[in-house]
Amino acid sequence: MSVIAKITKPGLMTTLQDMGRAGSRHLGVPLSGAADPLSFALANAALCNEPSVPALECTLQGPSLRFLATATIALAGADMNAQLNGAALPINETARVKDGDELVLGTAKTGARCYIAVAGGFAGDTFLGSVSTYAQAALGGIEGRTLKAGDRLLSAGETTGSARTPSAALYPWLTHEFFLRATTAPETGQLSPESLKQFFSARWTVSRRADRMGLKLEGPSLSLARTPPMASSPVFPGTVQCPPDGAPFLLSCDAQTVGGYPRIAQVIAADLHLVGQMRPGDHLWLRQTEEAEARDIAQKKAALLADILPGGFFR
Amino acid sequence: MSALSFEVSAFGEAGWLVQLQGGDMVATALAANAIADRLRPLKGVTDCVAGIDSVVLRFDPCVLSPQDARKMLETAVKEAPHDKAAPKTKIAIPVCYGGEFGPDLSALAKRLSLSEKEIIKQHSAQKYRVLTIGFAPGFAYLGPLPESLRTSRLESPRAHLPAGAVGIAGAMTGVYPLASPGGWPLIGRTPKKLFDAKAETPFLFEPGGEVTFTPVSEEEFARMEAAAS
Repeated sequence: MSVIAKITKPGLMTTLQDMGRAGSRHLGVPLSGAADPLSFALANAALCNEPSVPALECTLQGPSLRFLATATIALAGADMNAQLNGAALPINETARVKDGDELVLGTAKTGARCYIAVAGGFAGDTFLGSVSTYAQAALGGIEGRTLKAGDRLLSAGETTGSARTPSAALYPWLTHEFFLRATTAPETGQLSPESLKQFFSARWTVSRRADRMGLKLEGPSLSLARTPPMASSPVFPGTVQCPPDGAPFLLSCDAQTVGGYPRIAQVIAADLHLVGQMRPGDHLWLRQTEEAEARDIAQKKAALLADILPGGFFR
Repeated sequence: MSALSFEVSAFGEAGWLVQLQGGDMVATALAANAIADRLRPLKGVTDCVAGIDSVVLRFDPCVLSPQDARKMLETAVKEAPHDKAAPKTKIAIPVCYGGEFGPDLSALAKRLSLSEKEIIKQHSAQKYRVLTIGFAPGFAYLGPLPESLRTSRLESPRAHLPAGAVGIAGAMTGVYPLASPGGWPLIGRTPKKLFDAKAETPFLFEPGGEVTFTPVSEEEFARMEAAAS
């Protein structure tokens, strides 16, 4: 392992991520990993990396890096107006960098997360088979935390490699309006008929409380049937919980493993990557989708993305 | 050994939830964990997680049809042992109760019409079982809590509580393994490390294990905390 770059400005929240710790929920350990796994995989695909090779996840405002070695890099996800030595580095394009080169990311106008991948990937602390950072428990990444100025990034392999350009048709098109499909969930029946209708027709706004754990949605207040408190039961990224205050909470990649609030919807697996690009103030519609249709969508979308996400959406 | 009745419902396009109704809290939780452990390694199963009285099976529909996944879950429920098998592990947790270590103890004593001493005595006399692991890495839901100590969650959860905080809520008690937010009233704190990512065995608890609490003084707490770090 060799030092490949140094963080000169950390950005708002920059962490090392991979595809997460699948299969660890029975230990109380969340999935973590890239909040937008599709953009993450696109950055890796441009470098001919395996889809789960560790890359940097930048949030809303990106970091600045000084490279200390020769490498091939690629950016994907939200456009943060990246500049390499003062010249624009477009999203989804690869670039060769050398010792002394400066990569400066700005602020995302649309979308929330940009991924910086390097050929061969970055190295980090491994826990349960993943280097993804879960800062709440100080797991993975670099000392389990968000990056700070002065951090040195290590490469995990050969840092220069062949590049390719994934079909532009596969790039997510990010605006401030999101459209997610969702199935019902075990406690959907606790919503009043009026609230159920509202949930699947309202234009929701992402509140300021939006992070890797989940996003609180603002809109009509939902009312639930009065039932005895439920015993804690499993929840997952994409689960929408409805706490007693009536404001739905959409869980994301760092979601806790069990919860005690009614589960009123589950975002379909094929749309879940979009949650990682939603930011405070963005709007979102949820459309009710039958399970069979959701499986069909996942199968068709996975076929289109076979080169990018060979594992599909069910992990 | 009572019968374990159950109800299966869809949880997303690639998940089934089974809600268990068993009567005895510990036996039901042990059954939930046995079901999850049995199914988790099987082909086509992407994850299987136990709650207190439920299990969610998640599957890859390209490998396993939803009907087969559901059958698999139902079979595992029907064949699950439903009794309070003897614990395989026994762990004693030292706790310094009350004061700054358990900031909700005095309010709880008033609400429950018990003295602080009586709450400590009852909480530390009970033998608990790990019902399931969840919420945070290494957080164990422990039960049953003695009937006389049962209370509701805080009206508004604390934004920050320290690692080792011991709380109670409903029929359960638990120890927060990490500094985190939390909604359970806090009665004490342990100096014992419950989760250590760098240790060979990062997790202290396992489902079904027996857990007891031993009261310690502030001085003992300080000594143990110094020794642990």
